Amino acid sequence: MTESLKLRVDRRGNLAVVYTEGYINNQGGEEIARVAYKLLDDDCSRLLLNLSGTKIVNSIGISILIEIIEKMIEVDGKLAFCCLTPTIEKTFHIMGLAQYAGIYEDEQSALGALET
Amino acid sequence: MNPVATAAIPDEVWREIGDLSWEGSESTLMESLLELWRDHYRCEGAALYLRRDGHYRLEASSRRGSCSRFPAGLESPTAAGPGDSPADAAPTEDGGPKLLEVPGGLIAWLGADGVTEAAPSDPLTLLLVSVLRSFELRKRLKLQSFQVNYRGVELEALYDVGLAIASTLDLEALSEEVLLRAVSLLDARRGALYLREGSRYRLDRTFGGDALASFEPETEEDGRRKMRVPDDLLPGTEHLLALPVEFHGDPRGVLAVGDRESRHGVGPFSDRDRRTLMLFANQAAIALENARLHRQELEKQRLEREMELAAEIQRQILPQGSPHVEGYDLMGWSRPARQVGGDYFDFFELDGGRLRVTVGDVTGKGIPAALLVSTLHSSLRLLLGSDPVDGELLSRLNRHIHESSAANKFITLLVAELDPSAHRLRYVNAGHNPGLCVRADGTVAQLDPGGLPVGMLPQAGYTTGEMALGSGDLVCLYSDGITEAATPEGEEFGMRRLRELLVREREHPLPEIRSRLEAVLEDFVQDEPQADDETLVLLRRCDT
Repeated sequence: MTESLKLRVDRRGNLAVVYTEGYINNQGGEEIARVAYKLLDDDCSRLLLNLSGTKIVNSIGISILIEIIEKMIEVDGKLAFCCLTPTIEKTFHIMGLAQYAGIYEDEQSALGALET
Repeated sequence: MNPVATAAIPDEVWREIGDLSWEGSESTLMESLLELWRDHYRCEGAALYLRRDGHYRLEASSRRGSCSRFPAGLESPTAAGPGDSPADAAPTEDGGPKLLEVPGGLIAWLGADGVTEAAPSDPLTLLLVSVLRSFELRKRLKLQSFQVNYRGVELEALYDVGLAIASTLDLEALSEEVLLRAVSLLDARRGALYLREGSRYRLDRTFGGDALASFEPETEEDGRRKMRVPDDLLPGTEHLLALPVEFHGDPRGVLAVGDRESRHGVGPFSDRDRRTLMLFANQAAIALENARLHRQELEKQRLEREMELAAEIQRQILPQGSPHVEGYDLMGWSRPARQVGGDYFDFFELDGGRLRVTVGDVTGKGIPAALLVSTLHSSLRLLLGSDPVDGELLSRLNRHIHESSAANKFITLLVAELDPSAHRLRYVNAGHNPGLCVRADGTVAQLDPGGLPVGMLPQAGYTTGEMALGSGDLVCLYSDGITEAATPEGEEFGMRRLRELLVREREHPLPEIRSRLEAVLEDFVQDEPQADDETLVLLRRCDT
């Protein structure tokens, strides 16, 4: 049985921090998308994905994250990532996620950017 | 354009179409058009599905109020096709949407059935379809761009792993890195790395689920070596790709991944995936080989440090010089075959001016022999003390050494005691080479064995020998490394040659006798390396 991605959401007004734990693959990506779109429906347009509990993301997971970013752009929302492993951060840069979503070393600086 | 269809679209709908924003995303545009389509055909909800790889994925929808959601994907749906009446279309399931096949996908609708026969070809539907097609095209281009970029991720991954291998010998970290990279780049759900131990492969690490703890691969097929791994290597997976980790053809492990993901589920791995995994398996092989060599080097350094320590301890045990005994010349010399040897000699001053001279030879070589030498040294001092040597003392020593050492270890020993005032030599020979006493007139007497080597049996008896020493008499105690030194053809130096040399050189200073023996031995063995430790103790009465 494959281990599933675990998520924890910390809602702070119109901003939410989603903490991931595990593999962001197809299943994990869909789960993040479900939570993100629900938050959007609930007027939460600023989203921080804290990936401190994730060591590995595959291409399916990345494509789903790109879709989430596109959706955020459509609704004039903001999305950021923080606490990425060097490998994941490099992958996000190569795949272009960094062009449309902020990437930060720690949660504090990410929150600071999202709140401005 | 069908005039009937044109007349079916009211002017206000066309105006609304014109008011739509065409600057935003296709999704937003499709939702807006779907809303118009839904309202025009008086449905509760309408949706667009895009077809890809035989699956239909929901791309946009528009629903009124409490209208049910459209399913996110459809597999093998039955839709009204070109020429069919949409009114006859059957719902996908009870309460489910009805479907109309259009180029590139499906239009689905729920609720009041106002979709007429004009719907498939009316401009509103055609507009929706054209937006869907452009969306499809854009998605394909995005996918191609995504795939091209992802090749970059693969190359970077291989580069990064290569760098990591070159910069660290931490096998744990490297193994983890190789496995995670392989799993993520192949879009696998699971992965495992096995390392070879003998004929079996043991699980080193796994990701995403359980794996077999170990397995023994089949290796023979049609006379050629071919590795086959168990089908249930990663239990629960439907598709497995496992490749050997080989260094110069020598198998070191297995790298396996399971269940290649797509947006629709899992599927088999491709030939391209096999090539990618092979690249990571090669990286893993290099990492394993580097780590193995490093471990070997560390072990070699550790052994060298231990050997040096043992050699130092042994140097401290062996006498640094010869004691002074009035009326006698004394000399002891030992040369180990390796850094640490099993030969032993000692001078121990006793009460009343007596001197104990001991020569011994421990079975084996290297550190184990050196450790037994150390045990012997302390045992001789403690057990024999200053008592005159005799069979009873040797029996006690024998019991102690037998209890203290491994079953197959024993020591040949010759313990001699010189009483310089009486000019007598008392000795016990426990299985050692016979000592030689070269008289001043050139005759030779032997200090023959009087018992078994110490440590061989739990109980042993020993006989004591004694001889008087005349002026000029030369006593030689030695180890078999001297008499058993051999030519390349296997001929041994032997006792005869030793006796002849001692008789010939008996009047020369003791260091010269040793040098002469060394030179003769070197000539005798030619280029053969020293096979055993060589020890020589010389004692001569030099008073008149």
